[in-house]
Amino acid sequence: MTLASDHDTAPQVGDLAPKNSLPSGETLIRGLIWAVVLFLCLTPFLLVFAISFGHKVEGASWVWGFSLDNYKRVFVGAEWPDNVTFLYLQKLWYSLYYAVIAAILAVITAFPFTYFMTGLSRRAQAAWLVFILSSLSLSEVFIVMGWDVLLSNRSGLPMLFKVSGATQWLKDVGWFDTLRDWGLANPRNVKFKTSVFATVLTMAYLVWPYAVILLYPPLSRLDRSTVEAAQTMGAGPWTVMRTVILPSVRLPLVGSMLLLFVFLLGVYVAVTVFAEPAKQTMAVSVYEAVRGNTLNAPFGSAQAMILLVTAAVFLGLGQWLSRRNA
Amino acid sequence: MTRMNRRTLLKSAAGAGGLAAASAVIGTPLIAQDRSLKIGSYGGYFENSFKEFVYPAFTEATGIAVESVTQPNSTDWLVTMTQATKAGNVPADVSLYGRDSLIKASRIGGLLAPLDKSKMAATSNLDPYFVFEDSTGPIGVGAMSWFSAMVINPGEVEAPASWTEFWDSSTYEASLGLSKNYNSQFLDIVAATYFDGAETLSTKDGIMAVIEKAAEIKPNVALWWSAESQMEQAMKNGDVIGGQYYLDVANLMAADGFPIKPIFPKEGNPQDYGSWCLSAISDKGDEAAAFMDFSSDPATQALMSRKIGTAPLVAQSMTDLTDEEFAMVSGAPSIKPAYEAYLDNETFIKENWDKMLAGA
Repeated sequence: MTLASDHDTAPQVGDLAPKNSLPSGETLIRGLIWAVVLFLCLTPFLLVFAISFGHKVEGASWVWGFSLDNYKRVFVGAEWPDNVTFLYLQKLWYSLYYAVIAAILAVITAFPFTYFMTGLSRRAQAAWLVFILSSLSLSEVFIVMGWDVLLSNRSGLPMLFKVSGATQWLKDVGWFDTLRDWGLANPRNVKFKTSVFATVLTMAYLVWPYAVILLYPPLSRLDRSTVEAAQTMGAGPWTVMRTVILPSVRLPLVGSMLLLFVFLLGVYVAVTVFAEPAKQTMAVSVYEAVRGNTLNAPFGSAQAMILLVTAAVFLGLGQWLSRRNA
Repeated sequence: MTRMNRRTLLKSAAGAGGLAAASAVIGTPLIAQDRSLKIGSYGGYFENSFKEFVYPAFTEATGIAVESVTQPNSTDWLVTMTQATKAGNVPADVSLYGRDSLIKASRIGGLLAPLDKSKMAATSNLDPYFVFEDSTGPIGVGAMSWFSAMVINPGEVEAPASWTEFWDSSTYEASLGLSKNYNSQFLDIVAATYFDGAETLSTKDGIMAVIEKAAEIKPNVALWWSAESQMEQAMKNGDVIGGQYYLDVANLMAADGFPIKPIFPKEGNPQDYGSWCLSAISDKGDEAAAFMDFSSDPATQALMSRKIGTAPLVAQSMTDLTDEEFAMVSGAPSIKPAYEAYLDNETFIKENWDKMLAGA
């Protein structure tokens, strides 16, 4: 409580003095900061929104205009009504699919790790946090390259399968053909690229440090005495987790998942490297439209707007659900 | 000099680039050259070789200083140059464009300046196909060309005599690496192998037939690559045992002992080429003409083949390239991509190709 009362008094002292002498100057600066922030946030957004109504010139570039054709194309394809395709909705589906699975995977694996970490000594906690923060400096490209090598035929996991005899064993027991049906093997050896497995794995790995950092504050604030009280009253570890720990960190857990989910919607490198074209996402399609050979920025913008609206809907749903259950 | 592969060159690219930029800035006022030209080329190994071998020879021959500008590639650069032209200040006088980007620039209009052929006598060495003219006049002079060839892992499979063998799942199931882009010439290969070539791609029905044939190879493709390095790694690691890759890089990799062998099957390999183009708002028309004249000289073409690994745009007999040197960078027959078709039906081809890949 002392901390809170400190906060209550401190701003009053600071606020009174300048307000009496220079009220207009401060308002001006505040207004200016707001204007800059709004400008920086809204301009790119409005630009993309405006471009999304533009018109593509076949074989050349695009021109400004006002048509809803680009949005229509996202839902039914360019040749509608002669031909209908859900190609872009399929890409949107994979955007959501990877992001949801990878976000959940990252949070449920980071949760026990962070929980045990907060039980360590201050020194050990600091060491872990520094290590995890420094791993954030690895870019997406770097991480994808690392996993690319780890999953490669001659230098990674498939090599291990072959050398250890696991490949031969799989062939002997007949499971190898099942793997081939699943696209996880060629006639010579197992293969993990390209696959949903590799894509989700890399994406979860990519955001795992963020998950730890997001979960660390609520878990370190968790009152351990409630856990001890439950234990002295005879609750087993699973009961403690279910009835004491999880309910008290439910909101941060859901919040972390939503944040990572939105972050993962835009992943580009991991998807282009590890997902086959049939299972690539809308982020890749946006890039191809804007910077690719067609120079179709309006169509790319329309897809970006749809992706944005989808993310907003999911965030709103998440908020609504967590508020309803709170 | 020992042969450096693309990888080692790329590693030293950043350092060398910085040095070269610094020396250009420091060196220019001292030499007091009043004639200069900003020339764009694809960054990395490619641009460095130009800075090391081609530009110095040009400066020596003409006294015109060159400032090298890094282009990421043709298409992205066209976006950059379109915006820069509107803003009235372009980063390069001369840019390097693939034929598709060149035609696209011509159709957008107002981006490229017509060139004066009388100031570029050496362009008569090139096949007229490589000097691109639109209604405003000649706007692109061929710079160099490259093949995207059939490659195989010679340790795993026999050299195919035809592209049709790649459709054979008993050998190539989940084992090929093909380019993911709709206009990276796999459709041209299919058209040349199973249909009447570029002509088939000029109608929508023809395009659909070619795409349907291409769909049949999907079970054999392990990697649809979008970046060159993906295919390089996949061949080195044995993730794929064949596919479509650049002839010069494949030869360099083979020389370094990696299991890759470029093949010219009976249908041939697609040949693409780059053109030098002058920006419409550049005032360096004379310098640009001098450079394009120099570039079209058979001696310069041979220099580029040796140092950069590009195929010459002049006949081998005009150059002093040996048969062995020529085979490193070129071959026959050559498949000419259906550039116009890709542009006329751009959205149609792209969407149907993507649908084929996605199985949607």
